[in-house]
Amino acid sequence: MKELKPEDIKIIVATDCGSTTTKAILIEKHGDEYRLIVRGEAPTTVEAPFEDVTMGVLNAIAEVEELSGRKLLDEKGQIIKPAQNGVGTDIYISTSSAGGGLQMMVAGVVRSMTAESAERAALGAGAIVMDVIAANDKRLPHQQIERIRHLRPDMILLSGGVDGGTLTHVVEIAELISAADPRPRLGTGYKLPIIYAGNKDARETIKKTLGDKTSLDIVDNIRPVLERENLHPAREKIHDLFMEHVMAQAPGYRKLMSLTDAPIMPTPGAVGLIIKTIADLEKMEVIGVDIGGATTDIFSVFQGVFNRTVSANLGMSYSISNVFAESGLPNVMRWVPFKMDERDLRNRVKNKMIRPTTIPQMMEELIFEQAIAKEALRLAFIQHKSFATTLKGVQQQRTIAEAFEQSASGQTIVNMMTCNMLIGSGGVLSHAPRRNQAALMLIDAFLPEGITRLAVDSIFMMPQLGVLSTVHPQAAKEVFDKDCLIHLGTCIAPVGVEKEGKEILKYKFILPDGKTEAGVLKYGEMKMIPLAVGETAQAHLEPERGMDLGHGKNKNIETTINGGVAGIILDGRGRSNFLPADENVRVKKLKEWMLALDIYPKWALER
Amino acid sequence: MPFCQKLPGRYIQTNFVWFISFFILSIFPALVFSRDTPQPPTQVQAFDTPSDAGKSITVQWGKSSDDGEGLNNVVLYEVLRSTSPEGEYTKVGDSPRGTTEYVDNSAKDKIPYYYKIRALSKTSFSDSPPGAAVVSSPQWFKKERLNALIVVLVLSLGIIYFIQKASKGKEMFVRKIAAIEAVDEAVGRATEMGKKVYFIPGIYDMDSMQTVAAVTILGHVAKRVAEYEAKLEVPNCYALVMVACRETVKQAYLNAGRPDSYSDDMIYYITQDQFGYTAAVSGLFVREKPAAIFLQGHFFAESLVLAETGNSVGAIQIAGTAQPTQLPFFVAACDYTLIGEELFAASAYLSKNPKLLGSLKGQDLGKLLMMIAIILGSILESLGILHLAKWFTYQ
Repeated sequence: MKELKPEDIKIIVATDCGSTTTKAILIEKHGDEYRLIVRGEAPTTVEAPFEDVTMGVLNAIAEVEELSGRKLLDEKGQIIKPAQNGVGTDIYISTSSAGGGLQMMVAGVVRSMTAESAERAALGAGAIVMDVIAANDKRLPHQQIERIRHLRPDMILLSGGVDGGTLTHVVEIAELISAADPRPRLGTGYKLPIIYAGNKDARETIKKTLGDKTSLDIVDNIRPVLERENLHPAREKIHDLFMEHVMAQAPGYRKLMSLTDAPIMPTPGAVGLIIKTIADLEKMEVIGVDIGGATTDIFSVFQGVFNRTVSANLGMSYSISNVFAESGLPNVMRWVPFKMDERDLRNRVKNKMIRPTTIPQMMEELIFEQAIAKEALRLAFIQHKSFATTLKGVQQQRTIAEAFEQSASGQTIVNMMTCNMLIGSGGVLSHAPRRNQAALMLIDAFLPEGITRLAVDSIFMMPQLGVLSTVHPQAAKEVFDKDCLIHLGTCIAPVGVEKEGKEILKYKFILPDGKTEAGVLKYGEMKMIPLAVGETAQAHLEPERGMDLGHGKNKNIETTINGGVAGIILDGRGRSNFLPADENVRVKKLKEWMLALDIYPKWALER
Repeated sequence: MPFCQKLPGRYIQTNFVWFISFFILSIFPALVFSRDTPQPPTQVQAFDTPSDAGKSITVQWGKSSDDGEGLNNVVLYEVLRSTSPEGEYTKVGDSPRGTTEYVDNSAKDKIPYYYKIRALSKTSFSDSPPGAAVVSSPQWFKKERLNALIVVLVLSLGIIYFIQKASKGKEMFVRKIAAIEAVDEAVGRATEMGKKVYFIPGIYDMDSMQTVAAVTILGHVAKRVAEYEAKLEVPNCYALVMVACRETVKQAYLNAGRPDSYSDDMIYYITQDQFGYTAAVSGLFVREKPAAIFLQGHFFAESLVLAETGNSVGAIQIAGTAQPTQLPFFVAACDYTLIGEELFAASAYLSKNPKLLGSLKGQDLGKLLMMIAIILGSILESLGILHLAKWFTYQ
């Protein structure tokens, strides 16, 4: 791979090799700014009969070529590099989740300490964590050995013990792995890559135990002391091994690696990277979600800490039955503004599971599907919050004032009040017939507090931008801001409890045309004020007694509000149990909110 | 002639005799001819004192008409008792003027007594006619304490109700006790760091409820230590506590499926002397630098010494005591503290035993009712409505 200077890069082709589709984008520098030109896609060709991922990549690029009119491939079907005389591209980069992405197993001593840190490192690197082995996972050694043998991960991350800490536990786990003698998922002739990121005093023993049987790499301890995590070296090594071992074994990936100008990244890792990059650049706290057919990924950056979780059983097609089972019919139906036959609903859910590409044909199907999406997102977010926590096992310093409020460690760092932006992606959000529907799905599932911007990634190019950010962060940010996100608007939600109908917020917006939009928001009410994409409004917000918009209870806020497709959404539903228990009242309120936000056509709600 | 004048002795003697004679003659008619005998008390009624344990008869009478009015010469009432209406009446007590009731606590059960009331003036007296015969006997119920009975019944029913509910598998919500939730974290820290867990069960013997509660918590801690394959040490200052701790830890290791990891040497005796024990344990902390320390039970002055030493070696410390004077030290120096009765509630919380959970819930209901009564009583009392406060008062 040749060294590239960012200023030399003017044309960029990026692909994301998914399990079913390979997506290619073309980015060009026009004047001083980088913009997305076109997007093309083609079926992924990693499986038989083709068994060469580059075929799909070149097909997708060929589509981009056709759509843009820019010649990118030569007569031999190779990517023309660098760009010269209006043909070719300066760089080509790619991500991949084809063939199941990166599947890892992690191990640590205590489940909630070093094992959790290892899980965090693996998830952050874009892996799917198949299982977590820990000394206290309540499984007997033979069960753990059987599990390791059975899963056949792409690699194992072994951690445990602080530096100078326990040796016996770490060595025991290494012995378990050694006894299991696991084989890698791909390339049966190769040794399984194992990354050891534990107690440095145990390195020699670990080498003796695993050195011969596996491809062992040793990096700095993931938890050198319990008070601090050091995930970066382990994540770097995961990326390296992903390239060297996993990608190298997948059909056509060696060829693809020779084409790319930056290391191929696992798709979720790239998405996480772009979200982290944007959060760092803009100094924002962000939550990103990608709801797919089988899994739901949630990414967050709070207090500068990046976290990613994969809810493997929550999705909109393959896993839809599980969402239904986990959430329960009443929880799904609480979002539906009319009664539906339970048997009919169950049939629809199963239909969606066995025919994952089905899309809703009728309005009631759409409403029902979006209700399930809200529950899937809500459940995935609960999992995320319980994972994105402060470190456990850390000594606390207290004062006498904390006598009755002894907060435990391991509290979630996800704070909806400080969250600046919620980004959604995945079919149900990105392809919702009305953008307002995506906005309401995000609001109902995540319950943003205070002032939060909402956006969706319409064509899911975050993976390509993630890998681009490793080469050219500025280009990645510009395209992310201008072409990647479709801004839905801003949600303003005062937090507190009041009586239904009581005034909770006085607002005044000075709109771009100079007009003023002022009024009062009542408890249990939702309002929408149009403010187009790219426009901003000066807001003066006065929360009433006991209500909080982020600066404390009853504290006024003067700020600039960003517009979007849906505009400004005023959510006066408080934040606790806002759905009325009585069914008739609930249906009435749901219709009221949906009409206020123009979620569904009026006729659909008047049935 | 004035007496102060100096006069011949004979003249003075004559005048003095004349003066005394005049004085006696002047008061004689009042002594001889006036009515000094007070009117007798009326309507004597005696009855068995209600709601008592027997051996008590209450006597009531109507005041003498010379008590507070008429001659107003009654100074005292005497209560006379006899076993027959015409028999010899003996005095059993007295009651000041103006009163109309006397409780005779010298009666014997099952013997019929007759009572008379004697009204006394300074010089005379008069007796009332005897009242009807009365027999004292014990009663089953003390109506005055009906309030206590109702409160006890409500609490008991509450506890029984919650025990029943818990026994039927109903999920009982018990507020998370951060200190107990943190046991896994503390033991986990010790495991990761390869250091010991120390459990100090207070400096009292097994006759202290706090020590008993501490030993219950030790069982939970020991089970976790066994599961995590960490190392536990329990220094004791009483031999009996040491034995109880050994049995508890042994059982916990057995329950965790790791009896082989248990050793009697983990639980040992140091000294019964308060500061000898404190010095020894502090020394252990400093030398061993444990990763987790549990200070549970009955503590006195040594609490701060131990907690500060533990803090200085960087251990996660979980304390618990019902000694109010020691709590501030634990709160300030430890990571988590079981405050007061949380120490006792912890056993229900840990065991999830329906009986313990049910009684915990029932007691909470009682406390809630008491709080409501106190708040309501304070408001009503402030408004001058005294019924509720009176109802709770022992009559």
